Amino acid sequence: MQTPPSRSDAITVSSLRKTYRIREGGSWRGKTRDIVALDGISFSVPKGQIAGFIGPNGAGKSTAIKILSGILRPTSGEVQVNGLVPWTNRIAHVARIGVVFGQRTQLWWDLSVSEGLALLRDIYGVEPERFARNRARLADALDLGEIMDQSVRQLSLGQRMRAEIAASLIHDPDILILDEPTIGLDAPSKLAVRAFVHELCRDRGTTVLLTTHDMHDIEALAERVIVIGHGRILADSPFEDLRTTTLSERILELDFHDTPPALTLPAGAHETARELHSLTITFDPRQIPAPALVAHIGHLPGLDDLRISRPSIDEIITRFYADHAA
Amino acid sequence: MSLRPYLTAFGLQWKIGLRYRIAVVAGLVAQMWFGAVTLMAYASVYHAAPDVQAPLSLRQAMTYTWIQQSLFTLLPLGCLPAIGDAARTGAIVYDLMRPVDMWNWWLSASLARLLGNAVPRAVLLACVAGPLAMLVGLGAWSLAGPASLISAALALLSITLGALLSATIVMWWNILTARTLSPLGSYAVGTPLAVLLSGMLLPLPLYPDWIRPFLLAQPFAGITDIPIRIYLGTPIPGGVTTGLGLQIFWLTALTFLGRLWMRQTVNRLEVQGA
Repeated sequence: MQTPPSRSDAITVSSLRKTYRIREGGSWRGKTRDIVALDGISFSVPKGQIAGFIGPNGAGKSTAIKILSGILRPTSGEVQVNGLVPWTNRIAHVARIGVVFGQRTQLWWDLSVSEGLALLRDIYGVEPERFARNRARLADALDLGEIMDQSVRQLSLGQRMRAEIAASLIHDPDILILDEPTIGLDAPSKLAVRAFVHELCRDRGTTVLLTTHDMHDIEALAERVIVIGHGRILADSPFEDLRTTTLSERILELDFHDTPPALTLPAGAHETARELHSLTITFDPRQIPAPALVAHIGHLPGLDDLRISRPSIDEIITRFYADHAA
Repeated sequence: MSLRPYLTAFGLQWKIGLRYRIAVVAGLVAQMWFGAVTLMAYASVYHAAPDVQAPLSLRQAMTYTWIQQSLFTLLPLGCLPAIGDAARTGAIVYDLMRPVDMWNWWLSASLARLLGNAVPRAVLLACVAGPLAMLVGLGAWSLAGPASLISAALALLSITLGALLSATIVMWWNILTARTLSPLGSYAVGTPLAVLLSGMLLPLPLYPDWIRPFLLAQPFAGITDIPIRIYLGTPIPGGVTTGLGLQIFWLTALTFLGRLWMRQTVNRLEVQGA
C-alpha cells in the first residue's frame, strides 16, 4: 500500500500494469509473446470531476477502461473505485458505476427503450419510485419522449446513443465511464450529449471519465485531460496547460487586394505561406505579443483584412502525439 | 439475493419467443409434414414385417413421433440467440458488467426462450394431431392419449425436468459461444447432437439392442425421450425411477461442471479481454 486514497477521490489508480499474452503464428502450439498494454500508470480522479482520458489508438485506453469497469483483471497494481477494487468486488462495484461503450449496445435490440429500461431496473434493483423519477428526468434531459416505445433496432445512431446514456444512469451511479460516446454522431447529437454530461456533473456531482477521439468533446467537457501513450501517462493537466506547453504559437493571416509586399518581421514571427493575395505568419506570443506584431505590420499598402487564430485542438494533440512518438 | 432479475430475464425471453407468431405457424406446417412422412414410413415398415417384435407398437411409434415433432424447439440446438448476437457485436462485455449471477441470469433467459418457442407449438400440434385428427377420421394416425393418469402426471414432471435439462445444455452452448466469440460453433455441434441423441431422428427405443442402454444413459435422452416413454407407459430399464433419476443426475452434473467451466471462461475473458 502506498498513500491511502484521499476521501474525496472517486477513482484512484496506482502503478497499474497489464500485459496480454498472445500466440504467434496462429497455431495453438506456437510461441507466445507478452504485449504490454499498460506500463504502470497512476492517477486519481476527485469526486464530481470530468476527466478526459485520451491517447492514440492502441495506447492502452480501452484496457484501462475495462479494468475500471471490472471486466478485466490487471497484471499488477492497485485500483479503487468508490473504495472498491473492481475485479475482486465485481458485483458490488458494477452496481455503482454506469458504463457506455459507444461502439456496443447495452439495450436489447428486440425490446423498446422503455422495456429495456424496465429490465435494467430489475437487474439493478431500483425501487419503483426512484425508477419513475429517474426515468422521467432522463427522458426529459435526453429528449427520449418520442422514442421510448420504439424498438432499439429502429433507432438512429443519435437516438440510440441518447437511450444508451439513459440506460447507463437509471440506477444513479456515482461514476459514469464513457468510452467514445459521440462516435459517429451528427453535430446536433454531439452537442446534446455534451450538454447532458455537463449538466449531470454540475447538478448531480457525478464523476465522469471520458475517452474519445473527438477533441471537441474534451475541449467542451473535460476540466482535465490525461494523455496516455504506449501504456504510460504522457500528460495529466488542464487542457490549457497542454496547449501552452505543446503548441503555443498563433497564426496571423493577412489578405491583400494586390500581391503581398515583402516584409521584415520581428523575432518570434516568420512567414509560413505566401499566396497570390494572402500571407500567413506564424508567431510565438511569448516573444512577440499579438498587439505588437499587428502594430509592427501597421499600415501595409493594400492590406484588406487580418485575422489571428490559435491552432485547433486537433493540431495541438497531433503535435503532442508526434512530440512523444505516441 | 433477489429473484427479480432472473424472473425478468425469463419474462423477456418468453415474450421474444412468443413474438414470432408466423414462425410458429411455419414451424407447425413443417413439423406436421415431417411427422406425416415419418408416420407413413413407420406404417410401411411395420406392415412389411408383421412378425417382428418391435419395442414400440406402431401406434406408440406414431405417438412418440408426434410428441417429438411438437417439442422440436425444446431441443438445445445452439446457444441463446441473444448471447450469439452479443458475442458477435462485443456487447457481451455488458453481460459481465451486471450485478447478477451470470449462470442463473443466462439460464433463466435460455429456459424462457425454449419454452416460449416450444409451448405454443406443442399445444397447437397436440390439438391438430390429437382431437382434430380423430374428428376428421384419421384416428389411426393420431396422437394417442397417455397410458394412464399416473403416467400423464409423471410425464409432466419428467418433461419439466427435460426442459430444465435442455436449458442447462443450452448454457454449455452459451459458454462455448462466449469463449469463441461466435455462435456458429454451438450450432454446428448442438444441432446434430440434439437431433440425433434426443430421439428426434429415430425414437431411441427403436435402436438396436446393444446400443440402447448407452442411448438412454446420455443426457439428451432426458429432454424428450424419457418423458415420452413415461407418457406411453413403455418400460424403461430400471423403471420410471431410473428415468427420473437419470434426468436429475444429468441436471446436477451438467450444472456443476457447467458452472466450473463458466467461471474458468469468465476468468479467461477477464485476463485476455473480450
